Amino acid sequence: MRRAKPFLYLLPALALLAVWMYRPLLYTFYLAFHKWSMVPGTEPLFVGLDNFARLLQNKGFLDSIGNTVLYTIGLLPFSIVIPLVLATVTHHMEGRMKNVYRALFFIPMILAPVSVSAIWRWLFHPSNGLVNIVLMKLGAIDAPIAFFSDPGWAKWIILLITGWKMVGFSTIMFAAALTGINREYYEAASQDGAGSLKQFFHITIPLMSPMIIFMLTMSILFSSQWTFAYIDILTTGGPYGTSTNIYYEMYKYAFSNLNAGFSSAAALLFFVVFGLISLGLNALSRKYSFYDN
Amino acid sequence: MQHGLLILMCLIAVFPLYWMVNSSFKNESEIFTSSLVPSSPVLSNYTYAFEQMPIFRMMFNSFGVAILMTALQLITGLLAAYALVRWRFRGQLLIFSVLSLTWLIPFQAVMIPNYVLVNQMGMNESLLGIVLPFTVSTFAILSLYQSFQSFPKVLIEAASIDGLSDFNILVKLILPNIKSSVASLGIILFINGWNEYLWPMLVTKKMENAPLQIGLKLFVNSDTNMWGSLMAATTVSCLPILIIYLILQRQIVDSFVRFGIK
Repeated sequence: MRRAKPFLYLLPALALLAVWMYRPLLYTFYLAFHKWSMVPGTEPLFVGLDNFARLLQNKGFLDSIGNTVLYTIGLLPFSIVIPLVLATVTHHMEGRMKNVYRALFFIPMILAPVSVSAIWRWLFHPSNGLVNIVLMKLGAIDAPIAFFSDPGWAKWIILLITGWKMVGFSTIMFAAALTGINREYYEAASQDGAGSLKQFFHITIPLMSPMIIFMLTMSILFSSQWTFAYIDILTTGGPYGTSTNIYYEMYKYAFSNLNAGFSSAAALLFFVVFGLISLGLNALSRKYSFYDN
Repeated sequence: MQHGLLILMCLIAVFPLYWMVNSSFKNESEIFTSSLVPSSPVLSNYTYAFEQMPIFRMMFNSFGVAILMTALQLITGLLAAYALVRWRFRGQLLIFSVLSLTWLIPFQAVMIPNYVLVNQMGMNESLLGIVLPFTVSTFAILSLYQSFQSFPKVLIEAASIDGLSDFNILVKLILPNIKSSVASLGIILFINGWNEYLWPMLVTKKMENAPLQIGLKLFVNSDTNMWGSLMAATTVSCLPILIIYLILQRQIVDSFVRFGIK
């Protein structure tokens, strides 16, 4: 009885995870080797490695990998560079303004993706959106740009919106890490005549490296998740698949093309690749996580 | 110089929201202009939005889903994290590793089987169908595990010797002492639940069964030219979370700092 106790407390969580996580995960693995349209009453048909072979020849799938990489890298300025600057600049401020700034930066973070999409869709409206009106008035463009249906623009707008939402969160995280840095480092550096830029690169960045790596990991692992809703609402992956990402393709294979096997095969491939990436990132963060001790 | 930069960044962060509110009060002839204040503010966009969408009903759904998810994730999380901290047992390391890895599984990897299961259970178009796959959050378990670990073991031992049952140790001794962490985590879980997108969209197709976000999406896709009322609906959809932010600003920021995001 005593030995069963911990399992009793773990039971609700593990049982529910088994039903809603592990069972479906195994089922996805199973479906990856089958062809099935999810119609109730029909049985999945075994097709071996066929899904994988077709996936790797599918231009849309390969393009979506390219976009996934673009979104992942493109988000880094918004999740690392800009926030690091904002956190440092506000950190050296005295009094209330510091908190007011940070509170305002944070607002986009808590809003729902759908609300955010609706607002930006209106701002970037192809003929009457504020962005087009202003650009026309400034004389920067001659004709309004159809941002969401222009293959050259769509993915950058998606990236911009995702980034806009992220800045505040990273800023707050970096700000929290900064308060943990001993002020004496800076005082010593000032006495040695180091300017604020030099202090930033020689003290702030190295001492913040654990948090930077943490945010880097978050950003890399979740950027595809964060862009999903904006892709779905604003461009549905288009035009010509130029703004899609791998999760969105998985969703479309399953719920637009009703091809569960294809979607599952993509999930499985993705898993292997991301598993390797997170192992690498984990090793990296271990290496740096005890920097200040 | 510094303040100039920061004010610019604040404007970028907040201006879209201002533009949303501004547009929602403009009349039909003014909506396509760039005026920064509506010349004669109207409420017609709001009345139209409320006529077209069961907004209160959807808001109720959103609160229902978010509160239910938060409560269940906290309960299952507290029990599991307690077990992991309180006892040493066989398989502990394995369970811990599995939980850590589960955190990384994207929902898209399990959506098809879950969709099939919820349909089989006849739970589509129901709030419970939305909540069920989100009754456990491994993110919550791991976060609570961290909080539990900072609680002194000696006190637990002492309480145990005094005859307090294991469950009461959790509820009467540990919980009151870490309630600020639990509340912080609850805030994040609530915001996540409120903002959940993909799964509610798969489960609900009708506005009256959907959370606010999904209803808004249906509205975005159906009436693309009614920009005034779309912005009115969006303003209403942002209000609850903005009001909560206004009241709990400090705690919300603290909780994100403490636990990060999923």
